[in-house]
Amino acid sequence: MTPSESVMKISHLYKSFGNNHVLIDFNFELYKGENVVVLGKSGSGKSVLIKCIIGLLKPDEGTIDVFDQCINDMDDTELDKIRAKVGFLFQSNALYDSMTVRENLEFPLRRHWIEVSQEEVNNMVMEALEDVGLAHTIDMMPIELSGGMRKRIALARTLILKPDIILYDEPTTGLDSITGSEIISLMIEIKKKYNTSSLIISHDMNCVRRASDRVVVLYDGTCYAAGTYAELQHHTDPKVKQFFEQEFKQ
Amino acid sequence: MAKQTFNNVRLGAFVLAGLTFIIVLLYLIGKNQHLFGSSFVLKVQLDNVQGLKSGNNVRYAGIDVGTVKKINILNDTTMQVEMVIDELVKPVIRKNAIVSIRTDGLVGNKVVEISSSKTPASPVEDGDVLSARKSIDTDEMLRTLSKTNNDLAIITEGLKTTIGKINNSTALWNLLNEEGIPNHLKKSAYNIHQATDKANRMIADLQSIVLGVKNGKGSLGAIVTDTALGQNLNAAVLKIKEVGDQADRLSQQISSAVKGIQKDIDQGPGTVNALLKDSAMANKLNRSLENIQKGTDGFNQNMEALKHNFFFRGYFRKLEKEKKKQAEQNQ
Amino acid sequence: MSNQTRFQAFLSEAGELSRFAARFFAQCFRPRYEVSEFIRQCYIIGYQSLPLVGLTGFIMGLVLTLQLRPSMVDYGVESQLPAIVGIAIVREIGPVITALIFAGKIGSSIGAELGSMKVTEQIDAMEVSGTNPFKYLVVTRVMAAVCMLPILSVLSDAISLYGAYLGVNVRGATSFHLFWVEVIDSLAFNDVLPAFIKTFFFGFAVGIIGCFKGYNSKKGTEGVGHSANSAVVLSSVVIFILDLLAVQITDLLGFN
Ligand SMILES: Nc1ncnc2c1ncn2[C@@H]1O[C@H](COP(=O)(O)OP(=O)(O)O)[C@@H](O)[C@H]1O
Ligand SMILES: [Mg+2]
Repeated sequence: MTPSESVMKISHLYKSFGNNHVLIDFNFELYKGENVVVLGKSGSGKSVLIKCIIGLLKPDEGTIDVFDQCINDMDDTELDKIRAKVGFLFQSNALYDSMTVRENLEFPLRRHWIEVSQEEVNNMVMEALEDVGLAHTIDMMPIELSGGMRKRIALARTLILKPDIILYDEPTTGLDSITGSEIISLMIEIKKKYNTSSLIISHDMNCVRRASDRVVVLYDGTCYAAGTYAELQHHTDPKVKQFFEQEFKQ
Repeated sequence: MAKQTFNNVRLGAFVLAGLTFIIVLLYLIGKNQHLFGSSFVLKVQLDNVQGLKSGNNVRYAGIDVGTVKKINILNDTTMQVEMVIDELVKPVIRKNAIVSIRTDGLVGNKVVEISSSKTPASPVEDGDVLSARKSIDTDEMLRTLSKTNNDLAIITEGLKTTIGKINNSTALWNLLNEEGIPNHLKKSAYNIHQATDKANRMIADLQSIVLGVKNGKGSLGAIVTDTALGQNLNAAVLKIKEVGDQADRLSQQISSAVKGIQKDIDQGPGTVNALLKDSAMANKLNRSLENIQKGTDGFNQNMEALKHNFFFRGYFRKLEKEKKKQAEQNQ
Repeated sequence: MSNQTRFQAFLSEAGELSRFAARFFAQCFRPRYEVSEFIRQCYIIGYQSLPLVGLTGFIMGLVLTLQLRPSMVDYGVESQLPAIVGIAIVREIGPVITALIFAGKIGSSIGAELGSMKVTEQIDAMEVSGTNPFKYLVVTRVMAAVCMLPILSVLSDAISLYGAYLGVNVRGATSFHLFWVEVIDSLAFNDVLPAFIKTFFFGFAVGIIGCFKGYNSKKGTEGVGHSANSAVVLSSVVIFILDLLAVQITDLLGFN
């Protein structure tokens, strides 16, 4: 696969909370149809990065372009249009626990596409649930589901709008390795089916190895190293190496 | 969706129940304060509103018919109270109705009391100014009259005991049975005669006072319109009459006693004299008569007080003039 | 913590709360309006609080009457019992007890709900899903609290008065009609309206404080618990402060 068209471009991104400088001059580009994994330690600012991309946090400096549109100074309505095309899978799933699975899935649909018939909504909900293999849970509450199932429902909710870009925030964290593998397989499947571009945040090397077309190492707030899994595997820098060593220890 | 509408029905019922209650509550309070429905305005001017506030009730014959709307100060001695009155009672309230301020119960709010005067007048109109009763003067008069009543009661009491004593006096009856000492008897009979005369004179006095009051009622119509005052006067008159009757009876008894004694003397039995020396009976009789005298004095004093009362002054002056005239004619 | 830093923390909290309230007003009147969510919240906040509020109101009316009776009998004004109980309930007991119960039930539930939504990123998820979470969560809840508390308080008044009626009838007999007439007689607009108006402010205080505490919840379950707890405590205190202000304002305006 030769990545060609750029769907997202981050240049010179700065973000700090008080004296805590989380992101310092971060540059990054995502091309159509590729899966990029951002690798970084816990607390290194991965979630901050991804939240800047979706507009949940405002960067201090630098620009973020999504589909060649700068999102920095967008108002809410313009931002919502971009957000409809960018899926976001939260680290904690963020399922609405006062709503059933069906209502959870309907929520972004009804919100983004105001004029859509009930029948269409039902079809899309079923399709998204079938994609993640959980059609039978449609009338259950999130609290009744296991961790893996919740992650899949959250994924289904992200998929329901048929996004062009999906941002995964630590999709396998908190799951056992088998369930984690299932989720990774699902991510790969979805990428094939819908030809989405994905930005995956992770420190799970299993995920990095299987899902990544390209890896970016986030360290000290900057893009410390980049390359394919194979290239980085034999990187000599100890800061990069520690991620790969960790996997062999397991 | 079915669940949603079910929720909506309950929510609607809940909200409507709340709104209905507050609206009904406000409506009822408003109705109570005569804010709704047709009403008209009456005014009254007073020199003292005694802490009346806007919102206080207005009563006609004990029925709440309106509220005080506002109180204006017209000048340093005149306050004008504006009242909103229910249209329904408009034909009942007359132009000469009298307004007073009272307290509802012992510790209650002030209320404006509109009372009718018995004399005829046309019904009130919107914006009419009613006249106020000078409540302090009335109070004074009532106080005087009730004192009069008390005094009259004392007189009556005194007369009663006198009669009782004469009736029960074994001394007198003994005297009648005694063999007499004729030379003292005449003197004694004379004494008794005098006492009787004195009593008669006093009774005459009382009667003239009663008559005065009675006549006074006619000529002082304006003040005596108050039924309470009228009743007090009536009671006073009745009591005085009673005293008169009892005094009459007393003198009859005394004179019959005297007749008996004279008969005794004529027939010659001798011990009456000895008994007539017994001063106890004469003393008793005198004391009773003194009591009567005191009562009459008290009444006179009261009448004197009344003379100084604003309303009665004119009447008493007239009386005095008439007396003078009579005296002149007699001369 | 030294007194000074504590005082500073208090001031900064007050400032943040004011800004939160300002944000509420800014968002409140701008489309889009989350009507169906507002109605859903009215159902939850209003209708579902009625049993609790009704029960406490009923008991308050009954107990107040029974407690007042001996003194009223001592002073020989037993017949004034409906009037005095009516005034006490309508002016003070009804609104304040209802608001406190409301703060306990709704303040804590809003604080905990928004707090857990915050820490599990549900609020972020809403924003990503094309929804202004402030409008969807905060404005609807605060508006529902503002609209529902007066209604709850009015219904609680009604139920309290019924309780008082039963209380009057525990010893002695008064017909419901006489009781009602005496209560109405003793009430004036300046008893009912200020009491009714202040419940809007109570509702606003409970709603905005619950939302503020929840919306700014710290990460973790402890943070959620703390949000719920401090929402109840703060809104209860604020209710009393508002009550004090209300009585002084009505006094100043001469409606007392
Ligand atoms: N809203 C916030 N306010 C203050 N500090 C924050 C906020 N969000 C994140 N941070 C800080 O930014 C740093 C990076 O956090 P995060 O991006 O969540 O880490 P991770 O890479 O594990 O996802 C952390 O030190 C965190 O304390
Ligand atoms: Mg993170």
